[in-house]
Amino acid sequence: MKKRFNPIKDKSSEIIEFVMSSPDIPDDDVLKFKLRLSIEEAVENVVRYAYDGGIGWLETNIDFNQDTLLLTIQLRDAGVPFNPLEKEDPDVTLSAEDRNIGGLGIYLCKKMMDNIEYRYEDGNNVLTMTKKVQSNSNE
Amino acid sequence: MDIKISQQDNKTMVVLNGRIDTSNADQFQQDVAPLMEGENPDIDIDCTDMSYTSSQGLRIFLMLQKSVKARGGKMVMRNMNPQVKEVFDITGFSNIITII
Repeated sequence: MKKRFNPIKDKSSEIIEFVMSSPDIPDDDVLKFKLRLSIEEAVENVVRYAYDGGIGWLETNIDFNQDTLLLTIQLRDAGVPFNPLEKEDPDVTLSAEDRNIGGLGIYLCKKMMDNIEYRYEDGNNVLTMTKKVQSNSNE
Repeated sequence: MDIKISQQDNKTMVVLNGRIDTSNADQFQQDVAPLMEGENPDIDIDCTDMSYTSSQGLRIFLMLQKSVKARGGKMVMRNMNPQVKEVFDITGFSNIITII
Protein backbone atom coordinates (compact mmCIF):
# COMPACT_ATOMS: atom_id res chain seq x y z
CA MET A 1 0.00 0.00 0.00
CA LYS A 2 1.56 3.21 -1.21
CA LYS A 3 0.62 6.78 -0.44
CA ARG A 4 2.24 10.14 -1.05
CA PHE A 5 1.75 13.00 1.40
CA ASN A 6 2.34 16.53 0.15
CA PRO A 7 3.05 18.89 1.80
CA ILE A 8 4.26 17.21 4.98
CA LYS A 9 4.77 20.18 7.28
CA ASP A 10 2.96 19.45 10.58
CA LYS A 11 1.63 16.21 9.08
CA SER A 12 3.65 13.71 11.14
CA SER A 13 0.66 12.41 13.11
CA GLU A 14 -1.48 11.95 10.01
CA ILE A 15 1.30 10.01 8.26
CA ILE A 16 2.01 7.83 11.31
CA GLU A 17 -1.69 7.00 11.82
CA PHE A 18 -2.06 6.17 8.12
CA VAL A 19 0.80 3.67 8.25
CA MET A 20 -0.40 2.17 11.54
CA SER A 21 -3.91 1.69 10.13
CA SER A 22 -2.61 -0.42 7.25
CA PRO A 23 -4.07 -3.95 7.13
CA ASP A 24 -0.47 -5.16 6.84
CA ILE A 25 0.28 -4.03 10.40
CA PRO A 26 -0.18 -7.09 12.65
CA ASP A 27 -2.75 -6.99 15.42
CA ASP A 28 -0.22 -7.48 18.19
CA ASP A 29 0.15 -4.74 20.79
CA VAL A 30 3.79 -5.40 21.63
CA LEU A 31 4.78 -5.47 17.98
CA LYS A 32 2.62 -2.43 17.19
CA PHE A 33 4.44 -0.47 19.91
CA LYS A 34 7.80 -1.19 18.25
CA LEU A 35 6.46 -0.43 14.78
CA ARG A 36 4.77 2.80 15.86
CA LEU A 37 7.95 3.96 17.54
CA SER A 38 10.09 3.16 14.48
CA ILE A 39 7.61 4.81 12.12
CA GLU A 40 7.28 7.93 14.27
CA GLU A 41 11.01 8.41 14.57
CA ALA A 42 11.64 7.82 10.86
CA VAL A 43 8.74 10.03 9.72
CA GLU A 44 9.72 12.82 12.12
CA ASN A 45 13.21 12.72 10.72
CA VAL A 46 11.88 13.47 7.24
CA VAL A 47 9.23 15.98 8.28
CA ARG A 48 11.67 17.99 10.38
CA TYR A 49 14.85 17.84 8.37
CA ALA A 50 14.37 16.72 4.76
CA TYR A 51 12.93 19.93 3.36
CA ASP A 52 13.56 23.56 4.04
CA GLY A 53 10.41 24.67 5.87
CA GLY A 54 8.81 21.25 5.51
CA ILE A 55 7.61 21.99 1.99
CA GLY A 56 7.88 18.72 0.11
CA TRP A 57 6.51 15.21 -0.11
CA LEU A 58 6.90 11.92 1.69
CA GLU A 59 5.78 8.62 0.26
CA THR A 60 5.02 5.63 2.47
CA ASN A 61 4.93 2.08 1.20
CA ILE A 62 3.92 -0.86 3.37
CA ASP A 63 4.21 -4.46 2.34
CA PHE A 64 3.76 -7.77 4.06
CA ASN A 65 5.19 -10.86 2.41
CA GLN A 66 3.11 -13.89 3.36
CA ASP A 67 5.88 -16.31 2.43
CA THR A 68 8.80 -14.72 4.25
CA LEU A 69 6.61 -13.14 6.96
CA LEU A 70 8.58 -9.95 6.44
CA LEU A 71 6.85 -6.63 7.03
CA THR A 72 8.49 -3.84 5.05
CA ILE A 73 7.91 -0.16 5.66
CA GLN A 74 9.53 2.16 3.19
CA LEU A 75 9.78 5.95 3.30
CA ARG A 76 10.78 7.97 0.28
CA ASP A 77 11.36 11.72 0.01
CA ALA A 78 13.01 14.14 -2.38
CA GLY A 79 14.65 16.25 0.31
CA VAL A 80 18.26 16.94 1.13
CA PRO A 81 20.31 13.75 0.64
CA PHE A 82 20.77 12.39 4.13
CA ASN A 83 21.69 8.94 5.36
CA PRO A 84 20.46 8.75 8.96
CA LEU A 85 22.26 5.42 9.44
CA GLU A 86 25.65 7.08 9.00
CA LYS A 87 25.14 9.02 12.18
CA GLU A 88 27.07 7.60 15.10
CA ASP A 89 24.93 5.88 17.74
CA PRO A 90 24.46 8.00 20.87
CA ASP A 91 26.47 7.08 23.97
CA VAL A 92 23.70 5.61 26.13
CA THR A 93 26.00 5.23 29.13
CA LEU A 94 26.45 8.97 29.77
CA SER A 95 25.02 10.65 32.88
CA ALA A 96 22.02 12.97 32.69
CA GLU A 97 24.26 16.04 32.74
CA ASP A 98 26.21 14.84 29.74
CA ARG A 99 23.29 13.50 27.76
CA ASN A 100 22.04 15.15 24.64
CA ILE A 101 18.76 13.96 23.18
CA GLY A 102 20.01 14.11 19.60
CA GLY A 103 20.27 10.91 17.65
CA LEU A 104 18.02 8.84 19.88
CA GLY A 105 15.23 8.59 17.32
CA ILE A 106 17.09 6.68 14.62
CA TYR A 107 18.87 4.66 17.31
CA LEU A 108 15.46 3.51 18.57
CA CYS A 109 14.46 2.59 14.99
CA LYS A 110 17.56 0.44 14.68
CA LYS A 111 16.82 -1.33 17.94
CA MET A 112 13.10 -1.87 17.30
CA MET A 113 13.31 -3.11 13.70
CA ASP A 114 15.22 -6.15 12.45
CA ASN A 115 16.88 -4.28 9.63
CA ILE A 116 17.11 -0.74 8.24
CA GLU A 117 18.65 0.20 4.94
CA TYR A 118 19.18 3.55 3.28
CA ARG A 119 19.82 4.33 -0.34
CA TYR A 120 19.80 7.44 -2.48
CA GLU A 121 17.97 6.66 -5.69
CA ASP A 122 16.73 8.87 -8.53
CA GLY A 123 17.11 11.98 -6.39
CA ASN A 124 15.21 10.41 -3.49
CA ASN A 125 16.12 9.36 0.02
CA VAL A 126 14.79 5.83 0.48
CA LEU A 127 14.66 4.33 3.97
CA THR A 128 13.56 0.70 4.16
CA MET A 129 12.73 -0.86 7.51
CA THR A 130 11.89 -4.54 7.86
CA LYS A 131 10.67 -6.73 10.68
CA LYS A 132 9.77 -10.38 10.75
CA VAL A 133 6.29 -11.00 12.13
CA GLN A 134 4.40 -14.20 12.76
CA SER A 135 1.27 -13.34 10.84
CA ASN A 136 -0.80 -10.35 9.90
CA SER A 137 -4.28 -9.32 10.94
CA ASN A 138 -5.90 -10.59 7.74
CA GLU A 139 -5.31 -14.19 8.62
CA MET B 1 -2.41 12.05 26.46
CA ASP B 2 -3.75 13.22 29.77
CA ILE B 3 -1.70 14.59 32.65
CA LYS B 4 -2.69 15.23 36.25
CA ILE B 5 -0.39 17.27 38.47
CA SER B 6 -0.90 17.70 42.20
CA GLN B 7 1.11 18.54 45.30
CA GLN B 8 1.50 16.12 48.15
CA ASP B 9 3.60 17.17 51.15
CA ASN B 10 6.60 18.79 49.46
CA LYS B 11 6.47 16.61 46.38
CA THR B 12 4.84 17.03 42.98
CA MET B 13 2.74 14.04 41.98
CA VAL B 14 2.25 13.48 38.24
CA VAL B 15 -0.10 10.91 36.69
CA LEU B 16 0.32 10.24 32.97
CA ASN B 17 -2.28 8.60 30.79
CA GLY B 18 -1.97 7.69 27.11
CA ARG B 19 0.70 8.23 24.49
CA ILE B 20 3.44 10.86 24.49
CA ASP B 21 4.37 11.39 20.88
CA THR B 22 4.99 13.99 18.22
CA SER B 23 1.33 15.11 18.33
CA ASN B 24 1.40 16.21 21.96
CA ALA B 25 5.03 16.55 23.08
CA ASP B 26 4.94 20.36 22.87
CA GLN B 27 1.83 20.46 25.05
CA PHE B 28 3.39 17.99 27.49
CA GLN B 29 6.48 20.18 27.73
CA GLN B 30 4.32 23.21 28.50
CA ASP B 31 2.36 21.23 31.10
CA VAL B 32 5.47 20.21 33.02
CA ALA B 33 7.38 23.50 32.59
CA PRO B 34 6.28 24.75 36.07
CA LEU B 35 7.89 21.62 37.56
CA MET B 36 11.29 22.80 36.37
CA GLU B 37 11.42 25.67 38.82
CA GLY B 38 10.72 26.27 42.51
CA GLU B 39 12.06 25.15 45.84
CA ASN B 40 10.44 21.71 46.01
CA PRO B 41 12.02 19.83 43.11
CA ASP B 42 10.95 16.27 44.03
CA ILE B 43 8.69 14.65 41.42
CA ASP B 44 6.85 11.32 41.53
CA ILE B 45 5.52 10.22 38.14
CA ASP B 46 2.91 7.46 37.95
CA CYS B 47 3.34 5.76 34.55
CA THR B 48 0.77 2.99 35.05
CA ASP B 49 -1.39 4.28 32.21
CA MET B 50 1.33 5.79 30.03
CA SER B 51 1.03 3.52 27.01
CA TYR B 52 3.85 4.87 24.82
CA THR B 53 6.63 7.38 24.49
CA SER B 54 8.86 8.25 21.57
CA SER B 55 12.14 10.20 21.71
CA GLN B 56 9.94 13.30 21.93
CA GLY B 57 8.83 12.22 25.41
CA LEU B 58 12.31 11.09 26.40
CA ARG B 59 13.61 14.57 25.61
CA ILE B 60 11.19 16.08 28.12
CA PHE B 61 11.86 13.45 30.81
CA LEU B 62 15.57 14.22 30.43
CA MET B 63 14.89 17.95 30.85
CA LEU B 64 12.87 17.23 33.99
CA GLN B 65 15.53 14.95 35.43
CA LYS B 66 18.29 17.52 34.79
CA SER B 67 16.23 20.28 36.37
CA VAL B 68 15.30 18.21 39.44
CA LYS B 69 18.86 17.04 39.97
CA ALA B 70 20.30 20.54 39.57
CA ARG B 71 18.05 21.65 42.44
CA GLY B 72 19.10 18.72 44.66
CA GLY B 73 15.83 16.85 44.30
CA LYS B 74 14.79 13.39 43.20
CA MET B 75 12.56 12.28 40.36
CA VAL B 76 10.95 8.85 40.40
CA MET B 77 8.98 7.15 37.62
CA ARG B 78 6.86 4.22 38.72
CA ASN B 79 4.89 1.33 37.21
CA MET B 80 6.02 1.62 33.60
CA ASN B 81 4.61 -0.99 31.24
CA PRO B 82 7.24 -3.36 29.81
CA GLN B 83 7.32 -1.73 26.36
CA VAL B 84 7.89 1.76 27.74
CA LYS B 85 10.49 0.35 30.15
CA GLU B 86 12.29 -1.21 27.18
CA VAL B 87 12.56 2.23 25.55
CA PHE B 88 14.13 3.60 28.74
CA ASP B 89 16.47 0.58 28.95
CA ILE B 90 17.62 0.73 25.32
CA THR B 91 18.40 4.42 25.50
CA GLY B 92 20.17 4.16 28.87
CA PHE B 93 17.54 6.39 30.49
CA SER B 94 17.00 3.65 33.10
CA ASN B 95 20.46 4.51 34.43
CA ILE B 96 19.73 8.23 34.54
CA ILE B 97 16.22 8.23 35.98
CA THR B 98 15.04 6.26 39.02
CA ILE B 99 12.45 3.77 37.82
CA ILE B 100 10.58 1.69 40.40
